[in-house]
Amino acid sequence: MRLHAFGVAASALLMASGAFAASHRNGPLLLEDQTANLNDFYIFRSWEQGHTNSVVMSMSVQGFQNPDNGPSYYKFSNSVLYRFNINNSRGLDGNPDMQIDFVFVDTIAPNAPFVSYLGQITSIDSPGIFLKETYVVVVRDLATNTATFFDKDVNGHVLSVAPPNTGPKGTPDYEQNLGQPSIFTLANGMRVFAGPRDDAFYFDSGATFDYLNFRSPAPVLAGAADQGPGAAYPSAVDGFAGYNISLIAMEVPINMVTANGAIPTNTSDPNAHIGAWAATLRQQVTVRQSPNDPLQFGDYVQVDRVGNPLTVELLIPLGMKDYWNRSNPANDSQFAPLIADPFFVSAVLKGVFGLNVPPAPRNDLLGVFVPDITRIDLTTPGIPNAQQSRLGPLGGDNAGWPFGGRRPGDDVVDIGMRAAAGVLVSGFDVAPNNQLGDGVNSNDVPLLDRFPFHAPPHAGYLHSQANCTNGQGTNCQ
Amino acid sequence: MRTILPLLILCYTASAQVNEPDRLMQAFTDRAMADKVARMATDERIKMYEALANYKPGDSHYQNLLAGTFIQKMRETMDPGYLDRAAKIVGAVLAADGSDYEALRLRSQIELERHNFTKVAEFSRELIASSPEDPWNWGTLGDSLMELGQYDKAAEAYQRMINMRPDLSSYNRASYYRFVSGDAAGAIEVMKRAIGAGSQSSENVAWCYVDLGNMYFKIGQLSDAERAYLSALRAFAGYYPAYAGLGRAYAAQGRVTEAIESYKRAQSAVPLVEYAGALQDLYALAGQPDEARKQAGMVDMIDKMEQASGLNVNRNLAMAYADRDRKVDRALALVEGELHGRRDIYTYDALAWALYKNKKYEEAGTAKEKALELGTPEPAFYYHAGMIERALGQTEQARKHLEKALALNARFDPRQAPLAEAALKEIAR
Repeated sequence: MRLHAFGVAASALLMASGAFAASHRNGPLLLEDQTANLNDFYIFRSWEQGHTNSVVMSMSVQGFQNPDNGPSYYKFSNSVLYRFNINNSRGLDGNPDMQIDFVFVDTIAPNAPFVSYLGQITSIDSPGIFLKETYVVVVRDLATNTATFFDKDVNGHVLSVAPPNTGPKGTPDYEQNLGQPSIFTLANGMRVFAGPRDDAFYFDSGATFDYLNFRSPAPVLAGAADQGPGAAYPSAVDGFAGYNISLIAMEVPINMVTANGAIPTNTSDPNAHIGAWAATLRQQVTVRQSPNDPLQFGDYVQVDRVGNPLTVELLIPLGMKDYWNRSNPANDSQFAPLIADPFFVSAVLKGVFGLNVPPAPRNDLLGVFVPDITRIDLTTPGIPNAQQSRLGPLGGDNAGWPFGGRRPGDDVVDIGMRAAAGVLVSGFDVAPNNQLGDGVNSNDVPLLDRFPFHAPPHAGYLHSQANCTNGQGTNCQ
Repeated sequence: MRTILPLLILCYTASAQVNEPDRLMQAFTDRAMADKVARMATDERIKMYEALANYKPGDSHYQNLLAGTFIQKMRETMDPGYLDRAAKIVGAVLAADGSDYEALRLRSQIELERHNFTKVAEFSRELIASSPEDPWNWGTLGDSLMELGQYDKAAEAYQRMINMRPDLSSYNRASYYRFVSGDAAGAIEVMKRAIGAGSQSSENVAWCYVDLGNMYFKIGQLSDAERAYLSALRAFAGYYPAYAGLGRAYAAQGRVTEAIESYKRAQSAVPLVEYAGALQDLYALAGQPDEARKQAGMVDMIDKMEQASGLNVNRNLAMAYADRDRKVDRALALVEGELHGRRDIYTYDALAWALYKNKKYEEAGTAKEKALELGTPEPAFYYHAGMIERALGQTEQARKHLEKALALNARFDPRQAPLAEAALKEIAR
């Protein structure tokens, strides 16, 4: 056929005919929105020397980052406003009283090469950083309707995002040269950090997704498998080991987040308790041109939020998902009936594993999840990682999830399984309900005892299946 | 949000599906997949969803995910075979359960691709009645109303969409509306936001870069346009509309050899009729009449295949003929066919141009008024209007519109822009 003279196959020509040849503008429709997706939210009292009267909040975004993803690397979205919401009044009703926003801006250095980072980077002001990400912190007090902006630290340095950890040659002594110097002190006494970190989440996701095919001794842990560091690889595999996340962290003096501006000392003081959650927002625009401002960008709309590690998103029908994402936790009571009789409990714990579990409605779970905010008792001091119980209050350590905030080291998977099995309900704190777990008991790399507490990011150069991190976990040999 | 085991543990509803661990596993798998899938190429995604759909043939969720991925693949390749596969899956899911919401949403998208705009508007409104909080349905409603020329209602639908969820898909639509309604500067700003918002499919980002490049091109910012098309190619290698855009930008800069090279790349990926038309002009400019003739033959061949499949609706084919003063009666018939299901300004512009080429100047004058209704910064609209007005003896109007076309982009088309200049000179004489 003559068509081949054009170098175009007849079949290709066929497919271009018909309606396609007069194609309309088929704009994309999204099934998932990656850049605004939040992973985890943390809130805890600092145990770092000299900072113990502070509360630390952090949020992680863009999970499963391959550390070797050069040359562009992960960055914060310039179109997203990242927000910490703090609720300190009205019995923690899920409405914010204070908001702290992080807004990121990219600046490309003049005469930039194709890559974002070039040569050895030994300082956060290295000339080899061609893609400079900086940010502004906005502290909003909703009661007085005031906002304070910070775009520099107390030394006049711009707030810059920590560069990626490429490896020993490109970014030697990463934490000392680049990680810690990316912590900035603001004029109001806050400290802030934004940049790549190890994902502190740990979980044998592979076994769970293989149809609850837990690796023995999971899902019922006893003795050393429960009290100790957990089962050794390959009996337990941390599916999150070796991956980085992008972390936004802030350390705030306690008297800045309480309603009365004081440091509470008595747990019965209403000011002793706050709740908090993280959200991402994007700005509305008007579809029609405005006569005043050529763009007239509108309000910010929340596109995702996370309070507790065990979110309720899945029970929201598809057509309501964005409604839920946009709403405040204060309205979460409408979803209470779904949470009060969780499927996992009746169908899996009871049906599959034959456990004796409390009957519905589960008011113990409603207390944690409705509204979906993480609560913290500010009178409970923070304690170093080595002295913490991974099980938080279930392990006698009240400074952890779900009642004492959430720390990077908290084993929210095991806590969640046990809470679901009813250990918070009188009469159900019995074996095997209080021994459930996935077998992974700690993070793949040690957490820090100093701000920002999440471990430094895995280096691109070191990242491999062979170096005892990715897909293996702490105890691999 | 982190959606792995724990959220499931506490939260999965018991009400409907007690003792059905499959539902739980599905939810586990889905949410864990979301992050991983973001790094997968479309073909890998298709393989994965195919495996899942085969593993649980009774679960429509995986069928729907597979169908959605086939639609994405069709976007990337323009191969209607993928659309047919998506349609077959969605049809089967709806045959089993006519109320499957995911499948109903996909149905709107499939019918959009098939240009059944009236139907899409109807389907979208039905879904909005039951799920008014889902931005997707407002998006498909707006898309169909844009094609039906109901611009006010389209703007309302898009505004609802963006108020519910500002993201790549809603920013892209807001930007396009602004451009069509005459606000190029605002459109460009909003399109940059769409790009910044991103998507797990890099083709979606590339699409926005191409849109951005096209807008820059139409207002004459050629180097910005070129940069945007190159960014599209960086985001999604081999993206054919980006090559076509580059071809346009190079042609406007007089870089004919590079323009031909770029259009050839686009054509070898997807042989759209407008690429053949552009190549016909460029080869003529380059002094290669044989190659130009071959491209004209390509246009005819596409037409023959259309006719063989009983299709007589195609404004792009009509323009390929009308722009080159070939088969102008066929061109008019093709646009009139298009007008039955599509009454947007672009169809009216094509109608005006085909009528003009058939020397039906009065009717052409009426049609071009509709095309100009929104003040869209399309150089071709003003060029067509000017030529029609000149034929009608409306010299002042003609001068104004020809000047406007050239002011937007003096090199808007390698063949038509010189004709516009010549007409202007003649008026001035």
